[in-house]
Amino acid sequence: MKRLIMCEGANELEIVRILLANNRLIFGEDELLGLTPYHARQITGNGQVRTELNIYPGNDVLIMRIGDAQKERLKIPEDYKGKIIGIEKYCTKPELEMLFLIAEDKVAEFEKNKSTVKPKDFAKMHISLGRKKYDNSTKFYKDYFGDRVDILVQAILEYKRIKSSHKKEELYLADLIDLK
Amino acid sequence: MKLLYVKAKNFKNCIEGYTIDLVAKSRKTAEDKEYELQEIAPDLYVYNTMAFIGKNASGKTSALELLDACYSILGDFRLEDKHYDYDGVELEIVFYHAGFIYKYECLLSTDISLSNQAIFKEEKLYRKKYYKSRIHELYEDSSFEKMDEYGTLPEDISKVFFVLEKKSTRAIYFESFGNGAETYRMIFKALKNYSIDTLVLENIMRIFDDNIEHLQSLDEHNYRLVFNGEEKYLSDSQLIYILSSGTTKGLLLYTLMVASLKEGFDLLVDEVENHFHKTLVENMISLYKDKSVNKKNASLIFTTHYCEVLDQMGRQDNIWICKSGKHVSLSNMYEDYQIRTELLKSKQYYNNAFQTAVNYEELMSLKRKLKE
Repeated sequence: MKRLIMCEGANELEIVRILLANNRLIFGEDELLGLTPYHARQITGNGQVRTELNIYPGNDVLIMRIGDAQKERLKIPEDYKGKIIGIEKYCTKPELEMLFLIAEDKVAEFEKNKSTVKPKDFAKMHISLGRKKYDNSTKFYKDYFGDRVDILVQAILEYKRIKSSHKKEELYLADLIDLK
Repeated sequence: MKLLYVKAKNFKNCIEGYTIDLVAKSRKTAEDKEYELQEIAPDLYVYNTMAFIGKNASGKTSALELLDACYSILGDFRLEDKHYDYDGVELEIVFYHAGFIYKYECLLSTDISLSNQAIFKEEKLYRKKYYKSRIHELYEDSSFEKMDEYGTLPEDISKVFFVLEKKSTRAIYFESFGNGAETYRMIFKALKNYSIDTLVLENIMRIFDDNIEHLQSLDEHNYRLVFNGEEKYLSDSQLIYILSSGTTKGLLLYTLMVASLKEGFDLLVDEVENHFHKTLVENMISLYKDKSVNKKNASLIFTTHYCEVLDQMGRQDNIWICKSGKHVSLSNMYEDYQIRTELLKSKQYYNNAFQTAVNYEELMSLKRKLKE
């Protein structure tokens, strides 16, 4: 089986890349379609994902979507239907920035304001690394978590503990963490 | 250094003002930035892959030859041993280097000696500091400043030397007709020059033919081959009979691709699909789009008749349609066509959306004759 990881945004992709590079996932690069995770919302619009599906001769691809709410339905083009054995959703709702809020112990403060401010905007106001404020850039994720993968893993696990109300089909990033 | 733009006059049978722009023009999505484009300076994006399509004799090879000429000037500061006439060719080349945009203009003529070298005349060099806020006037003449004369050079050396100073491989041009038995010498030269491990070659060989276990160069024309468990000592002309010409060509192309990705120079390939399995072409394109492999911003620039390849390309502005008439010309799929994004590019190609279809009446005319 090959896993096709489709990250909704560049920041989700960076998180997966950090976890992969540090062997903190339940799978390694060799198990991934094309040996890498992808930034792709849909298969149709992403030539790279389509190419990798074309190149791979097997019919056992498990799609793992990673994103916040993932309300958009994933459309599988007819040509690839025979190749896909399943689709899993790993949610980071309401927004990926929850990981920063958990890492900085700011969840309680955010909860008091969550009716008026989104996690992304709250993070922009309260999260910084040295003098650099959070700016929704992929570089910030890399700089913040790249060398502190334990903090990232702890935030991912804690997210599942406090956000245990996902729908049945919505899995957690924590479910991908290798706990051994 | 990255080539951004070239405009030519009197180049082969190209129309006056024949222009190739390598800078991304249309909207850039986050996914495009990950797979289709490379950011060489803030907000300055060029393509990871670029394609030239068109009917036979529409000038696809001419487009690559023009780019190859520019890369020769930018890499070797010379233009020599080309298959076309240099006389009267006027070039305008814009490139990015170390925070500046440079514009180089010259008129070429042929060396009076028997050597096939170009002479550079009427050379002019301009430059300007690159600012992302002024990206929309990237090629505007008034924003460039003429550079001072640094000195004189032999007439077959371009003044681009004064900017780039050091010779370097800027691109390799892989021609479609191949190099026959010479190919093996070129493969081992590429391995040596670009410090590529021979294990990489063994990996490439297994992709093309898993009967090849080992290939070793004994000297420039003799090789030791372990094929299907059997050891053979062969000259290059004997070797090409054992390994097919497609495999031989593929070994060189894939070796050059590895060098290009490793060193970050561009690879120009004429008829990328020639002799290859579709998967091998798709794999090449995929490697150039994968930043974990293409770490040094190499670009793959190719011609193709195989329009399914276009479906792999997420953008339209990196696809050029070559057309023949009295002169050959270029159109850009993004700028010159209103194409339907919901339809596959290959489908539109076959539906003659780019006026590239083979003449149906002529095909039927031939069929009628065959039926007689």
